[in-house]
Amino acid sequence: MSAVVARKEQCPLCGFAFDAEGQGCRPSCPMARGCRVVCCPSCGYSFPQEGGVALGLRKMIDRLKRRGESAA
Amino acid sequence: MSGRASAPACHGGGDLEKKQIVAAARSAILVGNPNVGKSVLFGALTGRYVTVSNYPGTTVEVTRGSATIGGAPWHVLDTPGTNNLLPMSEDEQVTRDILLSERNYVCVQVGDAKNLRRVLLLTGQLAEAEVPLVLALNMADEAESRGIVVDDRVLGEQLGIDVVPTVAVERRGLSTLQARLPEARPSPWRPRYDDHVEAALAQVEPLLPAGGIGRRALAVMALVGDESIRAHLTARVAEADLRRIDEVRRELAARYPESLRFVLARQRLAAVDRLHDAVTRRKGASAASGAGRRLAALSTHPLWGIPFLAAVLYVAYQFVGVLGAGTMVDFLETTVFGEYVVPWVTGAVRAITPSGAFQEFLVGPPGVPVEEHGGILIGKYGLVSMGLAYGVAIVLPIVTTFFIAFSILEDSGYLPRLAVMVNKLFKRMGLNGKAVLPMVLGLGCDTMATMTARIMETRKERVIVTLLLALAVPCSAQLAVILAMTAGLSLTANLFFVGTLALVLFLVGWLAAKVLPGRGSDFVLELPPLRVPQAGNILVKTTSRIEWYLREALPLFLVGTLLLWVLDRFGGLAILEHLMSPVVVGLLDLPKEAASAFILGFLRRDYAAAGLFQHFEGPLRAGTMTWAMEVQVTVALVTITLFIPCIANFFMILKERGWRTGLAMAAFILPFAFGVGAAVNQVMRLIG
Repeated sequence: MSAVVARKEQCPLCGFAFDAEGQGCRPSCPMARGCRVVCCPSCGYSFPQEGGVALGLRKMIDRLKRRGESAA
Repeated sequence: MSGRASAPACHGGGDLEKKQIVAAARSAILVGNPNVGKSVLFGALTGRYVTVSNYPGTTVEVTRGSATIGGAPWHVLDTPGTNNLLPMSEDEQVTRDILLSERNYVCVQVGDAKNLRRVLLLTGQLAEAEVPLVLALNMADEAESRGIVVDDRVLGEQLGIDVVPTVAVERRGLSTLQARLPEARPSPWRPRYDDHVEAALAQVEPLLPAGGIGRRALAVMALVGDESIRAHLTARVAEADLRRIDEVRRELAARYPESLRFVLARQRLAAVDRLHDAVTRRKGASAASGAGRRLAALSTHPLWGIPFLAAVLYVAYQFVGVLGAGTMVDFLETTVFGEYVVPWVTGAVRAITPSGAFQEFLVGPPGVPVEEHGGILIGKYGLVSMGLAYGVAIVLPIVTTFFIAFSILEDSGYLPRLAVMVNKLFKRMGLNGKAVLPMVLGLGCDTMATMTARIMETRKERVIVTLLLALAVPCSAQLAVILAMTAGLSLTANLFFVGTLALVLFLVGWLAAKVLPGRGSDFVLELPPLRVPQAGNILVKTTSRIEWYLREALPLFLVGTLLLWVLDRFGGLAILEHLMSPVVVGLLDLPKEAASAFILGFLRRDYAAAGLFQHFEGPLRAGTMTWAMEVQVTVALVTITLFIPCIANFFMILKERGWRTGLAMAAFILPFAFGVGAAVNQVMRLIG
């Protein structure tokens, strides 16, 4: 089973915003278990969903941005 | 979402549903791009009385329900998500056919306010179809939070219809939308085409029947040669008129080098762009600067786009090939692994295990160089000294720099432009334009890209794309090692390598396109603005990809090393090397050890490339490569690149294209790779 988390994603290629649910790696892939690659329903571009360290980094950067904005 | 609606089907009250639907005096058809919240809006309009059924003759589901709007009963129909009334898929055809066959309806276009350009591309076609229309700009809150301001009043004036901002999940704007439905009217706005197209449309329109869709939209479908509309027209248009339409279409098509579908889509997009720019602005950020716009135009210019692309590739090569594959690999392999990791693991094992057979089994006998013993952790094929070193010291720094470069291209908005540039090149090579996307993706991961080949329209296209991906498109990890190796080669050897792959890609693609029956399709991709990449985005994207790489590749590197260790320990490696030596040594003039690289290349192609890299690393780094060595490296790289894909990709091919096609591809690729390698060997030695 794909390990894609159901949340809003934006395609880095065409900019299309979509719901990641059901857009994960197809079970036909022998390495689909635990795979976080999502496929844009608009243009077909695939990219790994942010998770683990990357998600932690994203949260940290967002927090720093918000702090910077509120300080300004 | 499409008409495979998430709205619940009520199976218990069939009669009630029928009565309610039949009693409805008016109909509303919900149309929109995929993933715009159409089904949520449908649910909010209809409540619980819905039926879900397959559209006749297809497996595509459409959802019907009832609503009370303005005190009157309405029949509401949710259609599959579509980007186009010129259908490219069964879903899109069902939506177009519903609009074509239903009568006296109001069309509610549900659009994503964040992606207005995409919304307007469909609005333009619905305007041409002359259907009474209301535009619901959904997800208005998300657009606002991203600083996208759409002037819905001006947009409504320009389109001549009601435009209602909505947030379907919160039922915001729903009552306004319901109030506007009875007043829905066709939009007088039209995308204007060039004079030749307009003249052709004027000739074709009078020959077409009136129906659910206006004559202009039907004329557009007929002119682009939309096969899915053929049966509808044949049943309603006289044979002489059909011949006349074909004649007009042929005359118009002769005026353009591209297909009419592409020509009309491009001109429609230009009209939509003007409308989009007139009604949209970004809060807190001005429109792209003049220099930015010029740079964006330059990046896709048919002539200047090429040196632009060359400059981008050169910078990427310096970053990945020189910094990543040179400096970083040297540091990690020689210093970190050579001086710290390997001695530390060896020392730790010797300290905690009693000396003797078990210790030797793990880290080899004391005093013997690592390359000369068979320890399972530290040794010639040791899990740490080889498996981990390949994955972490050789491939990881290269893929990291590659992923950074890739993320910069992605975040800057250049990647889709690169796809457009390569698209043009591919079209000249006789390949289908849409195939560019899986090809570009293949540079990331061929397995992922093989799955993406599903976006191709026909089986022929999917087979060609899958074959070319398996044959000549190296994945990111392999590409990274290739860059590292080609950095130490002369310009001539580099030209041989790149030229051979380009020639193979062109010839095999071109021949397959000629041999296999079928038609091509066009590549339409929305281009985001070119922008300065954000450091935070690049950091997160690169980290995300590295995590994915480590999870997928590193275990296979260790499994591969273990396999090699077992083969070596039980004499299997020597047998395989002996069996393959007529091809590897005799045909390709490579050292017999290269056989193990080919065998394990099946596990991961970058594993094989990393093995070759290590074999030639000394002279590559010292700059002491002789022509004979350069020939060996080039031949090995060509053969490994063309070689049968990695095991994950191979399984994906079998699953996606079927056993027969998959095995046929493997049967073609294997001898072809060795054959091309042998030919390159002979030609290069002849020149040398």
